[in-house]
Amino acid sequence: MSDARSEKKRDKLPGLNTANILLVESEEQFQKSLADALVEETAVTVYVRLAKSLPLPKENEESRPRIDLVVFIINLTSELSFQSAEASLKYLDPGYLLGKVCFMVTNARNVSVPTKRLDAVRKLAAALHCPLLFAEDQTSDGVTNATKRLLSILKVSAGLVPMATALYLSSLTSCTVPPRHRPAKLRLAPVFSGGVSLNF
Amino acid sequence: MAAQLNLSGPPDSGLSSLTDQSMSSRTSNRSLRVAEKERRKNEAEDPSVLALQYFYNVEAGTPVNGNDEVERNLVLVEQVAYRNGLSPEAISIMLEFAMSLRMGHSLCPRVLKCLIPVTVVPQEAVVRGVSWLGVGKIPVSTQVLFIKWVLTVFDMIDAKDQLRAIYGFIFSFVSEENLCPFICHLLYLLTSKQIVRVFRVRKLLELQSKLGRQPFLLNLLSLYKVFCPELVTLSIPSRSKSVFKNHNMPWKSALFAVQKRNGSQVASSISLASASKDGTNRRKRKHHHLEIPVLSAVVNKQPQTETSRRLVPLVQIQSVAELLENMDHIELPAQMGSLLGSSLALQYLDCVQDESALLRLNFWIGYALHEELLFCGDGASQNSEESLQFLNKLLSTQHFLQEGFSSSDAFLYKFLNVWDGSLLRPQILGLLSNIPVIPSSQIGRLLFEPLMQLFFTSSVFFKCGLIECLSNMLLKWLIWHSVYALEDDLDISLNSHTSINMTLSGFKDSVMGLVDFVGRLASIGLQLEGCHSLLLSFILDFYTMVCDTFLKYGLPLVVMPPPGVFYPALFATDPVSVDRLAFIMYRYKVNLTSAKSQEKLTEQAFHISRQTFREFNNYTVYMVNCLWNSKMFQPGMGVQLREELLLKSNVPQYWTSFDLVHHPAFMSYAIDFHQKCWPGKKDIDLDSIKHSKPWSWYLEYLFSQGYDGLALFVQSNIRAGQGNGQQGDSLST
Repeated sequence: MSDARSEKKRDKLPGLNTANILLVESEEQFQKSLADALVEETAVTVYVRLAKSLPLPKENEESRPRIDLVVFIINLTSELSFQSAEASLKYLDPGYLLGKVCFMVTNARNVSVPTKRLDAVRKLAAALHCPLLFAEDQTSDGVTNATKRLLSILKVSAGLVPMATALYLSSLTSCTVPPRHRPAKLRLAPVFSGGVSLNF
Repeated sequence: MAAQLNLSGPPDSGLSSLTDQSMSSRTSNRSLRVAEKERRKNEAEDPSVLALQYFYNVEAGTPVNGNDEVERNLVLVEQVAYRNGLSPEAISIMLEFAMSLRMGHSLCPRVLKCLIPVTVVPQEAVVRGVSWLGVGKIPVSTQVLFIKWVLTVFDMIDAKDQLRAIYGFIFSFVSEENLCPFICHLLYLLTSKQIVRVFRVRKLLELQSKLGRQPFLLNLLSLYKVFCPELVTLSIPSRSKSVFKNHNMPWKSALFAVQKRNGSQVASSISLASASKDGTNRRKRKHHHLEIPVLSAVVNKQPQTETSRRLVPLVQIQSVAELLENMDHIELPAQMGSLLGSSLALQYLDCVQDESALLRLNFWIGYALHEELLFCGDGASQNSEESLQFLNKLLSTQHFLQEGFSSSDAFLYKFLNVWDGSLLRPQILGLLSNIPVIPSSQIGRLLFEPLMQLFFTSSVFFKCGLIECLSNMLLKWLIWHSVYALEDDLDISLNSHTSINMTLSGFKDSVMGLVDFVGRLASIGLQLEGCHSLLLSFILDFYTMVCDTFLKYGLPLVVMPPPGVFYPALFATDPVSVDRLAFIMYRYKVNLTSAKSQEKLTEQAFHISRQTFREFNNYTVYMVNCLWNSKMFQPGMGVQLREELLLKSNVPQYWTSFDLVHHPAFMSYAIDFHQKCWPGKKDIDLDSIKHSKPWSWYLEYLFSQGYDGLALFVQSNIRAGQGNGQQGDSLST
């Protein structure tokens, strides 16, 4: 990670009552509507920065403010989207992983999403101890809700919530890898014959 | 069976029904021109009756090639079929003609293709057709065509009892490789619980090992598994996306056209049935899937069987009395989803002994939920209104039956993992609160992990909603316990329709798990949201139930709230929260005292750990010290601060800050009281309230404002008549 200097956070100071969020999405679809909704927030001044991938260009490095939260938006129906996020992660300063990164996934309920890809995203988020948020990008309600959730994390990671730190929140929200799908031979436990075992 | 086919009936009965129709319409239409038109139409139809007669009488072995008569008659029949559809009798005649191969097999597909029913398809004709399959002379492609036809018109077949009776015969065609997918679909539609047998499961598994994991085999097996989970141990992948998509249904468009023209009653149910059963037109199906079908009879006319056990379709039942009369012979509708819309049907479901109806409904619900909310197509947003209606219906059904469906539970466990926390929130939380008791070993993985991630990243309103949902869940668990707990062995059978059995200790573990989980969410939630008073109110709702588990619900379990809930409630700025906390503490005391006295009476009563008593005593003593004695910071209490730090804060008389006079929640009352008590005094000295006389007036004044919880707490914890300065008593461990 010798060239991974593009995203450092230590050398810049936070502004008063402001929060900076960086949305990284290779497809550049969802980030626009999210950004529009994010800047509507009135209690805190929210600056939104958009990027297609990391590393960020060198030229504006000096004027760029300190980033409080990096959000990787992954469209699950596209393998490229996931790969791009994975590649971008390498350019992130490790310090960010202490609660200042989160993944936002769209289209998780789509029929064309292979189970393996969702599992891979989960594993990635779990390995990095980051929260994994699911979002409905098709509806305006979904966008509003996704915005609210990002804001609630952003406020904590920007230090605007008393008694809470980014690391503390991420210890509560970090993704866990859900149970594996049962192997084909396994007989289901009789206790659950009427319960969870009915998977069609 | 084949003999029952009424071959001796007048071949022109097809005409008679048609003339009946035109007669009736003629009476309504007085217009001469219309009558004229009718007459011309009738004349035009006459030759079609003759044509039918020809096909009924034609000798076996008549040559086809160069036979103009056949050609002419067939064209006539086709014309009628594509325009108006064929009457049941005509269908019988033409099907029999085609399947018997009286004129070879070249005409067969053509005849089959024009079999478009106008009203219903007689069951006998279908049974006879199936029996011809066994003769073995029909080419495979024609056999496939025939089965496809049966599948298309399945919902129009007037009865299914004889078809079910030859289930075994139909099953035997499964081994024919080309027929197998279609036979599987047909079997899928005919399967009932009694039919699922080990040898059939074995045969299907054998086929599966030969043909691979084919979706049609898996679907049939999954249905078998629903009926008899003990026979099918194979695990079915959850992502079997499409059920039986192998029919391109040549009849469908013609059928729609005919029915549209006739405007018949059957049309609506058929369109739904075919829309949800075949997967050729995925988009179309999307829009119909969650629509709850109208309750319609499978049997449009009474089956002509001589058996005394006449089946009564559920749709014909109008009252509870009728339902009770016919309880033992009710024909379930073909589409189980229609049950959701009818309260009588639900009554039936609730009291019927046979499980198969519930299993079928469960299966349907599970399938619909998965398909619509977990594996949706691209236009996911379009059907949200439909999903909303459906979930509301499902909720009201669950409310009516007072139990959940296992398939909706299984769906929820998966859905929580991909939920954004806002989509259909009230409905999802409603379904979630209906989940039956989960063993404590599974509860964390299934519920707590996904919920925790959602809880801490969502708004305060989601937090409130989730706490309320978990309160309802706990309430239902506790009610189940108090209803189903058997007195002797303390075993609980939680749900009459599922085999979940649980020991009392297992149940207690689950309840403990849930209460602890809510305690954790509540403590941290309050911290993150700055002790939001709405959230606090929902949390106190939850503990109002938890504190009474022993006396109100008979569960020998007492769990105290964590400090993260107790102290924010005690120091809350609104008097209501403090009052509710006082009430909760009072109920804890009543519960603990009664548990303790029972422990003394009977040996085997449950044991409350010393830890619980210690926690309770600490809280009570602290509360009394704080509110009553003005001694906030005593050594050994829950909240401790060093003396010098407190002095540094420059708060005068910091120890009185949270007594009943200075507590931020009650200070306005104190000032109000002060003004009423000493109207002349200009400078307010709140400390003067603490003298013995005004203190008791002040308490009376406070209690008269409706703070009953506080009154009960004071009455039970502070010895009467001793006024200010008394230590609260505590329970000994």
